[in-house]
Amino acid sequence: MKVFSNAVTYNYSWDEVSTANWQKYGPWNNKSEHVVAVDTLSRSVDPATGILRTERLISCKQSAPEWMKSLMGGSLDDHFVYEASYVDPANKTLTMVSQNLTWNNLVSVQEEVVYSPLTDHQTQFIQSARITALCGGWQRIKNSIEDTLVNRFRENAVKGKEGFERVLEMSRIVFAEEKARQHRETMLVQ
Amino acid sequence: MSASLAPECNDVKERYDTCFLKWYSEKYLRGAEKNSQECAGLFAEYQKCLKVALKDRGIDKLLDEAREDNKENDVRLLSPKNN
Repeated sequence: MKVFSNAVTYNYSWDEVSTANWQKYGPWNNKSEHVVAVDTLSRSVDPATGILRTERLISCKQSAPEWMKSLMGGSLDDHFVYEASYVDPANKTLTMVSQNLTWNNLVSVQEEVVYSPLTDHQTQFIQSARITALCGGWQRIKNSIEDTLVNRFRENAVKGKEGFERVLEMSRIVFAEEKARQHRETMLVQ
Repeated sequence: MSASLAPECNDVKERYDTCFLKWYSEKYLRGAEKNSQECAGLFAEYQKCLKVALKDRGIDKLLDEAREDNKENDVRLLSPKNN
């Protein structure tokens, strides 16, 4: 098993970050070509705690190295991820856990991301992923699979930060415009 | 908003996502409302479309297994915190 860990500070409030998170893979993000679709599968608020639980299916397309393709066969480029997320508005935490739905007889990828406030205007993102090659056989091959996926996580983490920064920036602009529009409408009514 | 894996569901998905985002930022985060009744109709319509696509692609079965695996996370992350 290999572990990938990463931490990023965003200079936006937790409210802004947790809202923009739902748009992370939308058109404002020009660094997330590998995510082709995001579908919501279920959504509910726990009446006792107020925690919002969401299940999503993330559809990805990212080319795998040739040696892995020949080892595993088939179209390794397309894969699906199941994500469950939990927003706790009282404690201001957003936790997202995800696992691979495809190729899971060969490799297990378990990721956890937590967004929590650092200050009133800053939010911390903490990511960790556990990658375990499950296929029997040579340890060298297992290590290569795990290393390849850790590198992929590292590359995607850089792109993920850049893309999300842009989503946050756009989201703040659009929110300010919407507020100004609502304000003008209120003034007209009065 | 991001696309749906089923292009035929894109239209209703976009309307639902827009509704949800408005509810989340304007009501849920402000503690005004626990459940998004205003988006329930759109969500049902979106799910009706999506369920067919998931079944056709055989993803529904994979999801059932993943949900089973995720039960521990549900217990851990849905429990009330004391901090």
